[in-house]
Amino acid sequence: MSREIVGADYTIDELMVVTLSRQFDNSTRAFNGAVSFIPVCAYLLARRTHAPELVWAASSIAIDADPPRLGESTLSDSIWDGAVMLSNSPFEFWAYAQGGHYNTFAFRGAQIDRFGNVNNTVIGSYDKPKVRLPGGGGMADLSCMIPSIYLWSTTHNPRIFVKKLDFRSGIGWGDGGQHRAELGLPGGPKLCVTNLCVMDFHPDSRAMRLKSLHPGVAVEDVQAATGFDLLLPDGDIPVTDAPSEEELGILRQEVDPTSMRLREFQ
Amino acid sequence: MEKILNIEEAATLVSDGSTIALGGLSMNSLPMALVRELIRQGRKDLTVVAIVNGMAVDWLVAAGCVRRLITGLISFEGLGLAPNFRRAAESGQITVDEYSEFLLIARLRAAATNLPFMPTKAGLGTDILALHPETTRLEKDSVTGEPYVACTPLPVDVAIVHAHAADRLGNVRVDPKLLWMDNEIVNAAGKTIVTVESIIPHEDFVAEPHRTTYPRFLVDAVVEVPWGAYPTSCFPIYTHDKEFFSAYSAAAREPEQFQAFWSKRVADPDTHASFIKANGGDAAMTRIQRRDV
Repeated sequence: MSREIVGADYTIDELMVVTLSRQFDNSTRAFNGAVSFIPVCAYLLARRTHAPELVWAASSIAIDADPPRLGESTLSDSIWDGAVMLSNSPFEFWAYAQGGHYNTFAFRGAQIDRFGNVNNTVIGSYDKPKVRLPGGGGMADLSCMIPSIYLWSTTHNPRIFVKKLDFRSGIGWGDGGQHRAELGLPGGPKLCVTNLCVMDFHPDSRAMRLKSLHPGVAVEDVQAATGFDLLLPDGDIPVTDAPSEEELGILRQEVDPTSMRLREFQ
Repeated sequence: MEKILNIEEAATLVSDGSTIALGGLSMNSLPMALVRELIRQGRKDLTVVAIVNGMAVDWLVAAGCVRRLITGLISFEGLGLAPNFRRAAESGQITVDEYSEFLLIARLRAAATNLPFMPTKAGLGTDILALHPETTRLEKDSVTGEPYVACTPLPVDVAIVHAHAADRLGNVRVDPKLLWMDNEIVNAAGKTIVTVESIIPHEDFVAEPHRTTYPRFLVDAVVEVPWGAYPTSCFPIYTHDKEFFSAYSAAAREPEQFQAFWSKRVADPDTHASFIKANGGDAAMTRIQRRDV
């Protein structure tokens, strides 16, 4: 898959990282799960630019880690350097998550539906799966506990953005509307950033809605790559804001100098 | 009471058909040496509780030891999918009972504390709960009407974890402190086997009791196995061996190639030392040692 953007001096992976990074601020307290290079880069970039107070627990364990480069796993000790605390999973991490101390979580899925629910369990039926995926891990838990949820996908296509999930491993806005609030769950998905566009969620229906298009991408391209009817915003649809030179420099030279984030584009 | 056993003896605490729970997380601190010994001894029909796991489960499944898997996530992370787990789940060779991470922790905690259930909001609105309505019951608070999930006790026969050090009585140090969910399975299990990087004098525990993680009454066997988590990590001594993970995944694309890899690098070596040797010996271990400690 091409990451090139015609006429631009940045690539899709960089645009995705920068777009996510700009969502975070000094009140963001985040952690990450498996194969989460894009959000990990975004947390580190935000901390090095506009959000120096941002908290990031590498692998959900290593608080305030500041690795000189990323490893091939976002759930291993390869990214813990510089941490001020290694937190014990059950007694510390889960208390911070359930207590609302951690407030930001990003996940993706093998399938994503229009309310931002995700599947990482099976393709096909649960009992006789066509493809057995790794499993949801902590997705079902954290999607219920964390108020600011971000979704991302490096492969925006109709097999991922589906009308109906084969299995709901993690909850976004649930069945839409007030469903999440009725379950007593805080917040919900804010944004979904893909290789084609940025989407938010309608404030009432909670259905996914196009917010901006990456350079060179048309509305028709996004709709063709999406298995459900995507809401459109009122008025013109803007082009996703370009990264600044400063952001690109920090991302390339300090945050992820060995481009581990490209593992998400294989 | 002396708790030191050799690895062959310790593995006999696990009988065919029993429920074992594996410690560690993802690429970190899985009790690989003891798992390999269970494979060597041909254990069958196991129910395996593995909250977030990868290589240990893939080995047990490859060797045909597993009947049922109770898990949240099985993968090799950035180094790929767990191939034997995936194949066995798709073919129906094993039954996969998927829970989320915290639902499993809650079930283990209910077992550990003799409570009828542990309440949580984890899993609400997902399809996970409907997979096992009897063990993750959807209920409402009788006063406020607020929904929650009641997680019933998950009984475990034997917990198997890897740690840094133990004394001969079975006091154990995870040192630096415990980073995974191992204490949940140790507390819930009927018996616990701990493999350790080294056995140290009992006096060291008395001198620094604040460094003790598990007291001897929770531990039934300790086995000294340096590099006992290999090819996963034992932080901060060594990291995971990505060469092993990559070669394993590459071999798994083709059954004959996998069989050759499996025999040579996993199943055939008759001791842990010869297993380490088959995987590059000292040179390989030096490669995965963390240099910043």
